[in-house]
Amino acid sequence: MITIQDLNHTFKIGKKGQEKSVPVLKDVNLEINKGEVVAILGKSGSGKSTLLNLIAGFMTPESGSIQVTGEELVGKTEAEKAKFRLQNYGFIFQSFQLMPGLTAFENIELPLKLQGVAKQQRLIRVKELLQQVGLTEVSDHYPNELSGGQQQRVSIARALIGRPSILLADEPTGSLDSETEQEILQLIQLLNAHYGITFVIITHDEEVARSAHRQYRMHDGAIQEELTYVS
Amino acid sequence: MLAKDQREFISQHMKRNKLRVFMTILAAAMGCAFLIIIASVGFGLHKTIQDEVLSSRIVTEVELFGKENGGTVTPEELAAIQKMENVKTVVERINVPGSPVVNLDGKEGYGQLVYTDLEAEQAANLALFDGEMPNDSTEVVVGYHFAGNFLTDEQHEELGNAENYLEKQEELAKPIRDELIGKTISIDITDYETEEVVSTQTYTITGIAKKPRKDWAYDDKIYADTSKSAEVLTAFGIESPDKSITVHATDFQHVADLTESLKGEGFLVYSVTEELGQMNMLFTVIQIGLVIVGTVAVLIASIGIFNTMTMAVTERTREIGIMKAIGAQPRLIQRLFLVESTAIGLIGTCIAVAVSYGMSLLVNIIVPMIVFSSVGEEAPTDMTITVSYIPWQLVVVAALISIGVAVLSGWRPARNATQIDVIQALKES
Repeated sequence: MITIQDLNHTFKIGKKGQEKSVPVLKDVNLEINKGEVVAILGKSGSGKSTLLNLIAGFMTPESGSIQVTGEELVGKTEAEKAKFRLQNYGFIFQSFQLMPGLTAFENIELPLKLQGVAKQQRLIRVKELLQQVGLTEVSDHYPNELSGGQQQRVSIARALIGRPSILLADEPTGSLDSETEQEILQLIQLLNAHYGITFVIITHDEEVARSAHRQYRMHDGAIQEELTYVS
Repeated sequence: MLAKDQREFISQHMKRNKLRVFMTILAAAMGCAFLIIIASVGFGLHKTIQDEVLSSRIVTEVELFGKENGGTVTPEELAAIQKMENVKTVVERINVPGSPVVNLDGKEGYGQLVYTDLEAEQAANLALFDGEMPNDSTEVVVGYHFAGNFLTDEQHEELGNAENYLEKQEELAKPIRDELIGKTISIDITDYETEEVVSTQTYTITGIAKKPRKDWAYDDKIYADTSKSAEVLTAFGIESPDKSITVHATDFQHVADLTESLKGEGFLVYSVTEELGQMNMLFTVIQIGLVIVGTVAVLIASIGIFNTMTMAVTERTREIGIMKAIGAQPRLIQRLFLVESTAIGLIGTCIAVAVSYGMSLLVNIIVPMIVFSSVGEEAPTDMTITVSYIPWQLVVVAALISIGVAVLSGWRPARNATQIDVIQALKES
């Protein structure tokens, strides 16, 4: 599903003309299969978020290859990458990243609007998903009127609405209390089991990582070890 | 994204920033309205003068002075002109060299004797106020003001003391005019130099010409048949008399072409289109100048649009980042911002057009009132002043400038929106 080969990336920091190169990813190789939940563990600065940003196509790597569903992402234009994201990816962010001016319903509806789905069909699909994530009651609430858990559920619903094959989650429970964290993790497992969606979860939380089928640990830009496999 | 959803998305954002969007629309509307109104003054003055020119003369008339090589126009040439396309008629008037003294019911007066083809005159719009056209050469039509030349000395004195000269003249001349039809007049044509009467002609008045449209125009002509000119010309010993020839076009729209055709055939001609041509050129220059001045106002308003759109992009960096992250095309993001700035320009233009027409209407009522009241009685009663006139072409040009400037103002912020870095944008809280 996702094949990463010899991925290298360097950040340039400092004043223009006097920049220093800081390597963030060093020869990363990774294989993620269809329907897997893979957690990438690591401390701050280990390079795990950079890896996710590269898989998402938000950045272009210095070298290496990222193949997703058989398509090479490196070398695609911004427009091509945006189209690819819309068709294949769903995103869950730590800070939810909901549009503040849109209601829960409208936030979930947004990817369908971008896909050009007709209003009637959007209505059916969003309502169905709202029910699945238990947000029907608050569908007309704005993000600032929702709790953290509810916001993350909206975010998950938005990620799922376009029926992506891969869901990229960056610290999905980072802003939640432990009880809500458990709810979200259960929801992820349920969705994975129900829809067979591939999950790539970036986290620093061992607890979250344990809920994945496979765990990778990152340290200083390198994937050091593959931990357990939970089936 | 469907077009309808794009519209909804934009209107949602505009509603969320009502005040700022309203102020920007206001600035755009003021700029565009300023452009339309300032240019409309140029168009208004142009129209006033053009109307004045067109109303003070017969617009379908082309004056023929002779030939470029100095020769006179022959009867054959006149017949050929008569047959030209778009020519309604050719009127040839013979001017009498002497001074005609007219005797009417024992009273002595004046009249401007004109020998002409009365049928052609009728075809060229010589309309009658009263009576009918002459049937033979012993009958004439006189001008509307002809009767005014037979006032008594007392009446002249009364007229001199009158507060309103034109009204008094009309009042005193009316009884004479009412009795004119059927009256016989004898005309003594006197040599200027010897003051001797060289010829006397007698006519019966069968018609009175219609009053000229302009207050200041004074028509005291005696329209007699051309055949009667021979004896006067013989008495003066003139072989080739002074003639004034006018060619009448079937319609005003053909006058310019007819003028050019006659020029092309070597005739010396002058028509109202020549006058209008020079005037139009001058006013076009003025109008272009005013449009440029007005455009400066639109450009100033464009700073507001640029500022608003830049603010919108800055404020929405995170939202743009989210949209890009979930798969919005850079082109779509650019379009959303461009359409928003275009909408601001479009709404502003619509308001500006409505306001401009309202202002124009108001100005055209108020300014002439002020002008006429300050001029007092000397004000010409038959003059219409158009201070502001908004032709549709002006609206189109102003709208194109205004909307074009709005699009250009939104272009850079929209472009910047597409270049927002997703990772940086998502880090914004």
